[in-house]
Amino acid sequence: MTTRVQHRATEVISRLLAYLVMAFALFITIFPIYWLAVNSFKLDIDIFAVPPVWFEFSPTLKHYDAAFIGQPFLIYALNSLIIAVTTTIVSLVFGTMAGYALARFDYPGRWRYQISFWILSTRMMPPIVTIIPLFIFFNFFGLLNTKLAVVVAYTAFNLPFVTWMMKSYFQDLPPELEEAAMVDGDTRWGAFLHVALPLARPGLAATAIFSLILAWNEFLLALILTQTERAMTLPVGISGRVTQYTTHWGEISAAGFLASVPIIIFALIVQRHLVRGLSFGAVKG
Amino acid sequence: MNDPTMTGTVGGIGSAFERWRERHLRVLMLAPTLLILAGLTLFPTVYMFTAAVQKVSPDPDVPREFIGLGNFARILADPELHVAVKNTVVFTSIAVTLEFLLGLGLALLFDKYIRRLNFLKTILLVPMMIPPIAVALTWKLIYQPQFGVLNELMFRLGLPSQAWAGDVNLAMGTIIAADVWEWTPFIFLLMLAGLASLPSEPYEAAQVDGASAWRQFWDLTVPFLKPVIAIALILRIMDALRLFDLVFILTVGGPAGATETLSLYVFKVAFTFVDIGYAAAISLVILFVTVGFSSWFIKRMRLAD
Repeated sequence: MTTRVQHRATEVISRLLAYLVMAFALFITIFPIYWLAVNSFKLDIDIFAVPPVWFEFSPTLKHYDAAFIGQPFLIYALNSLIIAVTTTIVSLVFGTMAGYALARFDYPGRWRYQISFWILSTRMMPPIVTIIPLFIFFNFFGLLNTKLAVVVAYTAFNLPFVTWMMKSYFQDLPPELEEAAMVDGDTRWGAFLHVALPLARPGLAATAIFSLILAWNEFLLALILTQTERAMTLPVGISGRVTQYTTHWGEISAAGFLASVPIIIFALIVQRHLVRGLSFGAVKG
Repeated sequence: MNDPTMTGTVGGIGSAFERWRERHLRVLMLAPTLLILAGLTLFPTVYMFTAAVQKVSPDPDVPREFIGLGNFARILADPELHVAVKNTVVFTSIAVTLEFLLGLGLALLFDKYIRRLNFLKTILLVPMMIPPIAVALTWKLIYQPQFGVLNELMFRLGLPSQAWAGDVNLAMGTIIAADVWEWTPFIFLLMLAGLASLPSEPYEAAQVDGASAWRQFWDLTVPFLKPVIAIALILRIMDALRLFDLVFILTVGGPAGATETLSLYVFKVAFTFVDIGYAAAISLVILFVTVGFSSWFIKRMRLAD
């Protein structure tokens, strides 16, 4: 009897401890984002206040006005959006076809494996080793500081991801449906277009959103390829307001928070596909 | 009878093209991706091989000069580069170890005690999804020595305030802490997915045999989780080795080079010192080490099958 009571007690205590750890982890996760958000709505006097003003301050949109009207952050955001959307469309069109081919077709010898492997290994290449040649390359064609250059670079970097993701989604589909369509007179290409693609729509949507996020968040390549409002993306614009001498805290908090909001919404949409997206399709969450 | 070339619309205008397309479909569907990726990898590699054996002046009018392995010899004798390598290795090993232990620990705990995880996942995915620049800003605010929250916490605890990212001894710690905040959720979610897919029979058998929780963890959970752990670790390690955004905003590699990573150093050599030949030589070495390591790993783990 006592052992059962004891057992029950340990169980309750462990459970309480687990909830406590969870609460702490949630607090640590949320607080920094909360802090960035509230600082973007504070007057400078409250941002610099010691001790910090946690909750009670008179909210202002001054910094949003300064960043998006005074500074060209609206244009940076627009550049980011155009670049992310174009990159996503191009890499999705090509990557989906490649993913399908690798999921369905036979290649002589070990070619299927070799190609899959090579595509993945290009993703392992650190961007820093490609920035010099990319810079020289785009400079040669007079494309530095254009959105086109950024789109080309991002497409190349997103393609392996899209290919692997779509390959994993197509491998989950039973091939019999496409075979049935072909028996009914459809071509292989037709079966891909009319049967496989519609069935893979949830995977396609998730992959598109991941690709959007990757392009929207990227910093290093954009830092090298863009210089002015003509092509500069939001992360590069933000980093430009953090200088060695002055940091425009209110402005960059406003821009940083606003850059995060669409991503948070997108992340919620792909929640179910998150694990697969994070592991290149290798782990099916 | 399933020969794709024999099916499809017979006759009509598109039929010759259609037949050609069907016959070469497996090549045609792969071709755009392979061509783009070949462009991305081959051109840079060839370019860097030529630049790395030359002395390239910042002035484009000065002709290049062949210097053989001169740039590679400089790699061996460059103390700043050696510091950057050491920093990158220290950062990667400590950050990834912490992220792994915390992520796995939390996943085990949550898998056991907390069933409805969707709301929780939603919140935990935020740090790794938002732009890394926003993450860096957030932590820059927290570490700020005059009005930052961290020094307020130190004050409340009766401890002396610190310069944090501006302190030679603490700067690397601040970068690691921010990275751990950003990426522990990644390990956590992957481990959770792995735990959710464990078969229940072996555990029931172990229970019958009276195996302790500790034994069950080492003899069942760890072996079952191994593939997921491998994927999580390789992705994190490759990512940590190329760390750039966080240091660029938080410390710019300082103070006194305490947080200068390889990526940041190559960036400096290429775009501040405009020493393209040398930057190309370093890049080539990084390329071979990282791609070699990850290829070996992918092959070993049979991830591409």
